[in-house]
Amino acid sequence: MTDSPREKFIVPIGPQHPALKEPGNFEFTVDGEIVTDAAVRLGFVHRGIEKACETRNYTQDLYLLERVCGICSHIHATAFVLGVEKLAGVQAPPRAEAIRVLAAELERIHSHFLWLGVAAHEAGFDTLFMYTWRDREVVMDLLESLSGSRVHYSVNVLGGVKIDLSQKISDQIKKEMDFLEERTHYYMKVVTTDDTFIGRTRGIGKLSKERAELLGGVGPTVRASGVKRDVRVIAPYSGYKDFSIQVITDDEGDLEARFVVRIKELLEAYRFIRVVLDQLPPGELTTRIKRKIPEGEVISRVEAPRGELFYFIQSNGTEMPARVKVRTPSLCNWGTITDVAVGHKLADMPMLLVGIDPCFSCNDRMVEIKSQSTPSHIMSWESLRKYGIEYYK
Amino acid sequence: MEVNRLLESGKSLVDRLSLSIIQPEEERLDVEISAFNLKEAVKSIVTANWGYLITITGLDIPPKVEMDNQAGSPGELEALYHFANENAIITLRVKIPYSNPQIESICDLIPSASLYERELMELFGFDFVNTPNREKLVLPDTWPDEVYPLRKSFTGLADQEKNKEEKK
Repeated sequence: MTDSPREKFIVPIGPQHPALKEPGNFEFTVDGEIVTDAAVRLGFVHRGIEKACETRNYTQDLYLLERVCGICSHIHATAFVLGVEKLAGVQAPPRAEAIRVLAAELERIHSHFLWLGVAAHEAGFDTLFMYTWRDREVVMDLLESLSGSRVHYSVNVLGGVKIDLSQKISDQIKKEMDFLEERTHYYMKVVTTDDTFIGRTRGIGKLSKERAELLGGVGPTVRASGVKRDVRVIAPYSGYKDFSIQVITDDEGDLEARFVVRIKELLEAYRFIRVVLDQLPPGELTTRIKRKIPEGEVISRVEAPRGELFYFIQSNGTEMPARVKVRTPSLCNWGTITDVAVGHKLADMPMLLVGIDPCFSCNDRMVEIKSQSTPSHIMSWESLRKYGIEYYK
Repeated sequence: MEVNRLLESGKSLVDRLSLSIIQPEEERLDVEISAFNLKEAVKSIVTANWGYLITITGLDIPPKVEMDNQAGSPGELEALYHFANENAIITLRVKIPYSNPQIESICDLIPSASLYERELMELFGFDFVNTPNREKLVLPDTWPDEVYPLRKSFTGLADQEKNKEEKK
């Protein structure tokens, strides 16, 4: 080797991608194989929803906000209705609150299964990807038979819910939960014992408890670092006041722990759903709520599949909110990525990125390797993924 | 009550710096603070390890024009720093005028605040002094300068262009 100045490469990842849901762009600066810096650029799907909310009434906003995300749609609507109900001084009936959290846990199951599949795919473990997505269909079908829709179930209305549970569907859900529980135990075995898989996850992307807390990360990403941060438990809302749920944490803080925590959350969700179905309170589904919401400000926090979702709603006493602020869990977790990535190999990046279960996705079709001295070198996301898989063969 | 104990301990951290403190909800405390004292207050919260920064919310308070064309109140921006500790939430509220929208950045205390500060800079026109990254976060690269979409006066880029033409 000569003493020529060390070349610094910047690897942009994003914004387009085929694997996940939404686009985002990362630039990793690499020194050889090791990442030395990471930056994030979002906004490729910025739709101005917060602004749009200010010119629509509360009912219209409910449907608009449900479309913030195509995976955790229900939880957005839940955060919004809980906030608006608090402002209006209205309490939804107990049966409605129980159905809200039931739908939220079903949503968590489908979200975690989806993530497990995507993560397996990035690791080059496509069999696991196919299996998990097949099993995910079970939940999707349940949601469809509950609400008539696979993705945007529109369970919530202001003041309650608009779906009810019959004995027949309740029995069906229980039966499917038994099936999924058996499958989930199997997946737990796979991700904790399969050598190839452990090679990609164990000891990689370590995030200490202190860093996780300082960076303000949320959800399973920081629970895998031993941070007990789960809004369902620390600030119970809606049906979680009546039905308690356990916080799942792990002290390892690596990628494997993030798998373990999410899979254990699946098991906890099955238990929770069975309890809710057994003790579903009878009664009304909705209460009346006025179209004009009294003046005031409210903060609404809920636990989405990816972590704490935060809504700030300001009302000026009219039919339309003065301000709606949404802070999604993925935004906080990006902060942990830019921190964790430094010091890791480029080959680990695909797994680290999916490790936080990004909702704006970071995967992409085109990966451009920038160099200060040589012309840009472009490779596809697919080849970066393959590069990662080959690297660990 | 647990939540009261948490709020009390949080209050004692920022009390000496605050302009006023109100409790809008049982588990919330709104602390009004001057832009000058903000960083000091954030520092005392971070040093005491009181919770974490959920996000920074921006609010636009448009200028009020009186009926007889007399100048009313000038336009203001408000930044809300929400800190959560268990179920207790303390919000530091900082009001600054359009004409001088400067707040000291808190990124050296809380690195993840960078994302929130970038968001407020481009959507509201805040100016965070010493913030590490001023690049656009959510708006397109081609977005015109000094057009802040979350201000109430913004009604669309087309209108913005038309106003500009008229001014000329």
